[in-house]
Amino acid sequence: MNKKINQKIAFLLFKLFGLVVIGILIGILGFISFNGLKVINWEFLTSNPKEGMTSGGIFPAILGTFYLIVGSLFIAFPLGVMSAIYTIEYAGNGWLIKVIRMMTNNLASIPSIVFGLFGMSLFVNKLKFGDSILAGSLTLGILVLPIIIRTTEEALKAIPDSYRTGSYALGASKLQTIRKVILPSATPNIITGLILSIGRVSGETAPILFTVAAYFLPQLPSSIFDQVMALPYHLYVLATSGTDIVATRRMAYGTALVLIFIVLLLNLLAALIRRKIEKKSKY
Amino acid sequence: MIKNKTFKSIIEKLIEKVFSISGLLTSILIVFICYFLFKEGIGFFKNSTIENGYGLYVNSKNKNLNLSSQDLKQIFDGNISNWKELNGINKSIEIIRIDDVFSIYSEEEIGENYENLSSKTSELIANKEGSIGFFPIEYEPKGSRVTKLPTNHLKLSDFLRGKEWLPTATPAPLFGVLPLIYGTLLVSFLAILIAVPLGLGVAIYLSELASASQRKIMKPIIELLAGIPSVVYGFFGLVVLSPFVQKIFNLPIGETALTGSLILAIMALPTIISVAEDAMRNTPRSMREASLALGATHWQTIYKVIIPYSKSGIITAIVLGMGRAIGETMAVLMVTGNAAIIPHSIFDSVRTIPATIAAELGEAPSGEAHYQALFLLGCVLFTITMIISIVSELISKKSYKKY
Amino acid sequence: MKKVLIVTWALLGVTLCVNAQKIKGSDTVLPLSEKEAQAFMKNNKGNKVMVTGGGSGVGIAALIEGTTDIAQTSRKIKFSERQKIQNKGKTVKEVIIGYDALAVIINNGNGINQLTKEQLEGIFTGKIKNWKEVGGADLKIIPLARETSSGTYEFFKEKVMENKNYFSGIRSLPATGAIIQSVSQTKGAIAYVGIAYLNNSVKALSISFNNGKSYIKPTEENTKNKLYPIIRPLYYYYLTSSESKVKNFINFVLSFEGQKIVQTVGYISTK
Repeated sequence: MNKKINQKIAFLLFKLFGLVVIGILIGILGFISFNGLKVINWEFLTSNPKEGMTSGGIFPAILGTFYLIVGSLFIAFPLGVMSAIYTIEYAGNGWLIKVIRMMTNNLASIPSIVFGLFGMSLFVNKLKFGDSILAGSLTLGILVLPIIIRTTEEALKAIPDSYRTGSYALGASKLQTIRKVILPSATPNIITGLILSIGRVSGETAPILFTVAAYFLPQLPSSIFDQVMALPYHLYVLATSGTDIVATRRMAYGTALVLIFIVLLLNLLAALIRRKIEKKSKY
Repeated sequence: MIKNKTFKSIIEKLIEKVFSISGLLTSILIVFICYFLFKEGIGFFKNSTIENGYGLYVNSKNKNLNLSSQDLKQIFDGNISNWKELNGINKSIEIIRIDDVFSIYSEEEIGENYENLSSKTSELIANKEGSIGFFPIEYEPKGSRVTKLPTNHLKLSDFLRGKEWLPTATPAPLFGVLPLIYGTLLVSFLAILIAVPLGLGVAIYLSELASASQRKIMKPIIELLAGIPSVVYGFFGLVVLSPFVQKIFNLPIGETALTGSLILAIMALPTIISVAEDAMRNTPRSMREASLALGATHWQTIYKVIIPYSKSGIITAIVLGMGRAIGETMAVLMVTGNAAIIPHSIFDSVRTIPATIAAELGEAPSGEAHYQALFLLGCVLFTITMIISIVSELISKKSYKKY
Repeated sequence: MKKVLIVTWALLGVTLCVNAQKIKGSDTVLPLSEKEAQAFMKNNKGNKVMVTGGGSGVGIAALIEGTTDIAQTSRKIKFSERQKIQNKGKTVKEVIIGYDALAVIINNGNGINQLTKEQLEGIFTGKIKNWKEVGGADLKIIPLARETSSGTYEFFKEKVMENKNYFSGIRSLPATGAIIQSVSQTKGAIAYVGIAYLNNSVKALSISFNNGKSYIKPTEENTKNKLYPIIRPLYYYYLTSSESKVKNFINFVLSFEGQKIVQTVGYISTK
């Protein structure tokens, strides 16, 4: 009897914990949506900040974040996929691969502010890119590299060996096998990784603080050596500075909502693709 | 045809090389990050304890002085007023800065291009026995009645054991990292303390109790929590949590270590939940069934069989959550109040290492002691997270071997 | 292949790069420079002025590195920074483009209305810890400062605290907005902000710099005629080698029209 009561109490508690976590998410999303929805309209999304960032919109920040997404993935995506192909298809199982795996894990565990320091000292100062889209994209690219490598590795591992042996039996070379057989079947999973990386890039603040982000820059960039505004940094600026905190706060809610919306949309997309793949592989 | 084939195989070899190089990319990057961080960071120790380009000068009668950075701060803050207290002569201390020289002498006396400035500083120091001058080396006082105080290099022990972080104090900045380390550890440990029971509870719920449809709802929610950018958490903490904490605990100010920990706990939750849940789900079916067959309840099975079995996975989850918490920057910067003190309670404001870097790097003059000190903080952070990452890897490897 | 792409991308960028003047530095001066730039570009079509923030230190570092044409700062250039420029064989020029007054603010619920310089020094060096020591209620004082290296932090230290250091462990907040919010929520708080940031969620104190003989309120009038004591200059720094490039813009800022903008932004003109 006592055992049963214990079990009941414990399970109730765990259920409660689950509800708490759901509650936290609903609380945060609800609070920001409630306050943010009042602000968001077409003008907010398409115009420049005006009057000391108390009115107008956040278009330069949205565009800046878009540039950083394109720039960083342009660098990290091909490199990450190639790296994963090497570890899964070529490297075998020796000590080297263990070191590589460990290094990838280590890279993933480095705090984002350290990437910021590194990007500043190498790209901004040493290579003299200055605070620029180029320096910011490179820094963010390194940051998301482990994500792309991991998801691509998972995708490649999920492909049955029969595909490979079948392809070799038909006389295809290793490269042909990778190109014609393995990559096409792994593509949806790889894309999931890409989408998750986009989510990460659009939300990171610390790495771009000293490599690209501009406090306020109403002009749009004309080259990759220009600075841009970016959504997460803009939210930080709106939240902590501004001449009129009440008026700025409104803009901050709007910006936070746009940022969350982008990230959540990407996560949802990734989840949908994954679900589709799981369904397909069942048959 | 044959030619074409050899050509093809050459290309294939070449591409293989490219692949193998990109395979090594992460390792190369880590080496690079290490190199650049430590190069700047180690440069810190080449700086002298006094602000670059300046010197400290006293009257030659004032002997036996051996002043630490701490002493200098006390002198220039006016907390020590007589040289006697520092083993010097019995005279009250008189501080002369370069700006004071301009208010004592007229512009004509000093000269248009400051050509007489050096002789004026000499005059001041020579005539006042209790004086201490803080002047640019370019205009340093000269002569037999002036002694230049010896300057030391910044030392590792001062950095690691110093209790004060005042990087812009003049004439001698204080780079004591202890308050920052304590602050970082307090906030992170507290966050883990909050997040672990909650996270494990949810992990047990997900892996053992939840129906398939409940899991389908819960899993994406946890992923979403992981996906929300840290700056949004910080913003939420700033406008909602910190006034809330202030009111609930009736505190003078809401930006405290506790506020930071609460936000960090939420941020570490997804990591803890998903890693722990994976570990629990990997418990072999046979072990569960054996336990249930012996008459144990489901709950007994969970805490007598499943939790011990997935112990190393759970520890990995905790360690990874800790890593996430220690390195988090923006959210903490916005809610902890950033006071560089060694905290005595969870209601104190604290300043963490990442927040310090983020807040100060923009204003620190590039290449100088302060700038390099921030890189050194980066090195500390890098080392801590590397250790955490390697430890967690060793733990999870050990669990593989055991079974 | 990828490298080639990157290089072409880079080249494309370079060719698109227009010959623009860049201004970089203090976030305090930023809103001012921004408005000046907009007005200047309206009058001089074809000239492009790009303004970015980051902090006074960042601005001067960029000037030394040659990645900006003008550094905007809320503090005077440091001796060591000037030396670095000299080591490169360049000389730097300083222009004061306006003044900013710092208001000392407290919570609206605090009964105190005025403080002397000495009392402020005591509070921020940690010697005065309770409001009753300066004639207020029995309440712990919570001083808030800006980040250690911001120009505002340095200026307050020089002007009000006679170069004495803040007590170590003072709470510091990343930006002015956060400070105002915190002061409005915290009963015992005291802090300082640029006068352009003042609003009625906090109370600005009258300050005495003559041992309590007279207290001066940071009103528009008192700051304009510089009666109010806590006033700091805002600077532009540029290299003499790029004088011809930046001269037009700086002349505009110093002109009657430019100085009018200084006032509309909430700062004090040089005239």
